[in-house]
Amino acid sequence: MMGSIVPEVATYSIGAVARMVGVPPATLRTWEERYRIVEPVRSEGGHRLYSRLDVERLRFVAGRVREGISPGDAHRMLSGVSGIFPLPAAEAGTQVLILLAERDPYAAEFAEFFLKTEGFEIVLALDAADAVLALGADRPQLAIIDLLISGGAGLELCRDVHARGIPVLALSSVATRDAALEAGASAFLQKPIEPLQLVSAVKDLLGTSSFLNEVVPAR
Amino acid sequence: MTDRVSSGSERLDAVLGGGLLRNSINIVMGLPGSGKTIVAQQYLFANASEDRSAVYLSTVSEPLEKILRYGQTLSFFDPNAIGSRVFYEDLSASLNHQDALTETLRRVVEVLRERQPGLLVLDSFKALYPFASDATAFRRFLQDLAGNLSAYPTTSLWVGEYAPDEIAVAPEFAVADGIISLAAEPTADRDTRVLQVMKLRGSGFLSGKHGYRLSADGIHVFPRLADPVDQAAYTLETERVSTGIPALDEALDSGLWPGGSTLVAGPSGAGKTLIGLHYIFKGAEMGRPGLIAGLQENPTQLDRIVEGFGWSLERDDVHLMYRSPVDMYLDEWVYELLTRVEELGIRRILIDSLGDLRATATDEVRFREYVYSLLQRTAHAGIGVFMTQEVAELFGVTRLSEYGISHLSDNVLLLQFLRGESRIKRALTVLKTRASSHDPRILEFEITSKGIELGEQFAEDQSLE
Repeated sequence: MMGSIVPEVATYSIGAVARMVGVPPATLRTWEERYRIVEPVRSEGGHRLYSRLDVERLRFVAGRVREGISPGDAHRMLSGVSGIFPLPAAEAGTQVLILLAERDPYAAEFAEFFLKTEGFEIVLALDAADAVLALGADRPQLAIIDLLISGGAGLELCRDVHARGIPVLALSSVATRDAALEAGASAFLQKPIEPLQLVSAVKDLLGTSSFLNEVVPAR
Repeated sequence: MTDRVSSGSERLDAVLGGGLLRNSINIVMGLPGSGKTIVAQQYLFANASEDRSAVYLSTVSEPLEKILRYGQTLSFFDPNAIGSRVFYEDLSASLNHQDALTETLRRVVEVLRERQPGLLVLDSFKALYPFASDATAFRRFLQDLAGNLSAYPTTSLWVGEYAPDEIAVAPEFAVADGIISLAAEPTADRDTRVLQVMKLRGSGFLSGKHGYRLSADGIHVFPRLADPVDQAAYTLETERVSTGIPALDEALDSGLWPGGSTLVAGPSGAGKTLIGLHYIFKGAEMGRPGLIAGLQENPTQLDRIVEGFGWSLERDDVHLMYRSPVDMYLDEWVYELLTRVEELGIRRILIDSLGDLRATATDEVRFREYVYSLLQRTAHAGIGVFMTQEVAELFGVTRLSEYGISHLSDNVLLLQFLRGESRIKRALTVLKTRASSHDPRILEFEITSKGIELGEQFAEDQSLE
């Protein structure tokens, strides 16, 4: 199941964006009204929804403001580069493929949605046998494994994936961090999982979080 | 699992063993007018933050317009939060769709993705029934909804006009992690509101029925005072203290132990309140502030009685808590009492009378449990309690109290009327003193302008008929 980058999809609430770029929601609203450059779409109920591109642009502005540039100047800089504003995955030229081995179809759907929104490609396996097949066929760069997949085959799958040199993010509804780490997982998250927690753990394991924190526009 | 979601009401959280479990599915059930929507909104505003929003989805039985219009009258309703932390949305458009439940589910999932709420309310959940083509379709919807809500970190409240007998048959009750029931129970000619936790998966909670009231501040729950047996040791004062009546102190083997409880039983007019007042005012003189928790004489009446014996309610160390027993909730009263005792540093309490309190309790066992819990708390805190109890018989008392309170009390005093030769005489007997000896004789007493004056023992041939 291959995904693609969907930067135009407006997904993030103002609260989520505020956390991601480190700027209070009230400031985001003020910037929007004053400069009219990053303008989120509105949902049916009239609430702001930001796309991934909006988030990166706001991250750029926030970064400049932290460097001492006024918000007005930062927005002017942004409008000068917005046409060619890069998205991390697109700029890299290759998309990161993640194997999502998840037994719960509802949890799989949520995780897939939020990871795809971040620009990752997902190959989904709902049982351990499918996951092993995907490892050979798709060569993912990271595996997210629900330890309770296929009646508890997740730890074995962790060992297998780890032996292939692929980093593993283990998930479970049960607090089994130690067992997961012992089986080769690099990190463990207890379900249900916050989308931002999932995304940042994935980025940490891929070593891309620092890159995403500060996108410098191409000139 | 210890992570809890607060209702914004400390006592409701206490009933729930600390709060609802985070990321759980909960049903708030009750008939119309029981306050379900108020409770749901209380949770909504108590948990909404810029980081984690709270979303209220209305279906068809509660028009969103009305929820908002009446919601504004609630003190915790913050209009400025709407659109930033709190989101209200009407699902009726989804329900107008040909495949209403599929469309509703799609919209709920969309809301989870867009808003990423920490708390989600569906009001009314039961109103979704008619949109299912059959029971199987509804179960499928239920499974999908619960699956999605379990996969995403959110706590949800499903509000519904369910009757108690639906718990056994409606499938959503099996899915729910927590069930809070709000009901009205008929007591005499009025209804008493009661909250009950019917289920809270993986957690302890205060069982039984808890009284509650609704106000502009939301729900006020009065957790059933029912303390378990407390085995913990506590420090006792070592010196006995006076009752305020020297001859009675003598009969009690040098007064009472501080922190003890005393039941004064007797017929109407025998002097029960008066003996309690001696206890309170003597305590105040000794630096032990007193509280008169009255349910009989109102402040004006009591003031007149007190002044007649040379005391005054004006002093700083004697306080009055008068409540009419009309429309009173048993546990509401005791929480007010305990709060005032703590705030005012009270050391002696007069409860006048137990019979009025008993009238507000739903049953006798509950009342005994209640008095036991109260006396345990006061004993541990070293606070003395005098309780008056009216008995029906004017002469020849055969039963002390109908609800077994006498064996919970450390001391029991019986006041009686005796037929003298040409007039009625008053008599006091110490029936019981815990952890000390006492004078078992029947002592005559008189009520004078100085209060109770205890006299000699009655003659052996004095009639008790």
